[in-house]
Amino acid sequence: MSDPDEDTDADSDAGLYRYTPPVHEMGIALEVYRTCRETVEAHGGGRLKQARLAVGELSAVEPELLVYAWEAVVEEGPDVGAVLIIEWHPADQRCAACGEAKVRATGSWMRICPDCGMPLEVTGGSELDVIDLSFEAIEETG
Amino acid sequence: MTKVVTVKRRVLAANEERAETLRARFAASGTLVANLISSPGSGKTTLLEVTVQALDGEFTTAVIEGDVATENDADRIRALGVPAHQILTGGACHLDARQVEVGIEDGGLPDVDILFIENVGNLICPTTYDLGEDFKVVLLSVAEGDDKPVKYPAIFARAEVAVITKSDLLPYVPFDLESVKSQIASLNPNGNVLVTSSLKDEGVDGWIDLLRTRLEAKRQSLG
Repeated sequence: MSDPDEDTDADSDAGLYRYTPPVHEMGIALEVYRTCRETVEAHGGGRLKQARLAVGELSAVEPELLVYAWEAVVEEGPDVGAVLIIEWHPADQRCAACGEAKVRATGSWMRICPDCGMPLEVTGGSELDVIDLSFEAIEETG
Repeated sequence: MTKVVTVKRRVLAANEERAETLRARFAASGTLVANLISSPGSGKTTLLEVTVQALDGEFTTAVIEGDVATENDADRIRALGVPAHQILTGGACHLDARQVEVGIEDGGLPDVDILFIENVGNLICPTTYDLGEDFKVVLLSVAEGDDKPVKYPAIFARAEVAVITKSDLLPYVPFDLESVKSQIASLNPNGNVLVTSSLKDEGVDGWIDLLRTRLEAKRQSLG
């Protein structure tokens, strides 16, 4: 945490957060990495090995692109080769009128019951959370 | 030794925390904030030009413009005597809460009744980033085609207000207005759909009324 370029103001979000690259998933990947890095530091430091991320189908994030962006993020630096595991969370939608779970057509976000035309209640599917991570801890000496 | 740590943190938590700070600030000043999102060229700036003129004398307004390059949009707003600040993202495809926070300071924007944030022209990325706004507005011009709501469902599902722009071009382009309305209703059953032409001053009064109502409601809820 001794980046010489770091801002001198009391802003803990300096650094990675400042820079938002032109690809949506790249920005997300950097944000995931930043969260992981901070967590590892808070637990004594070490080399990040794996992070698990929950991604909901309504989160507007494309898992393949995200993994690709992640690989670019950990291509160099202290966590080379760290793996990003994505846990996919489908949205559950229910028709209040029919009282049944409805299957939405692939790729569609329609929120109307295909049977009775009433609005569907949608739960879940917007996840975008770092679940946990594993890291190689710095060995205690002496 | 490998250690496993439970994190359970939203990826966008840092942005969301900043957005909440902004929201508190806007509540303190009683400012209504609208985040305008659309593809490039759908008429966000033109709608804002007619909007700030229509509200002139009744409410104070200011505009934050987000673009990859140029001060063009902020210049257009300033030319109308309304404070504006241009955020240049240098390639980034959306605004985030931090940029808005810094932009308000850098631009020296005063506390106003209604603040408009014109996001970078893009129907995808801005959807995910909370800017502390009261509501998102998605714009869709009739020249863009009538299948856009189902093709870009996230923004149409999340924007409380959808404004169909350039309605004066309806006779010249294939655009099934009823189909678009029903797509939006399916994605967002509680949303508002307005049909406007900024150049011909059609439907703009409905948009102005909506702003008036939202501002009133916000101030009442703030007490």
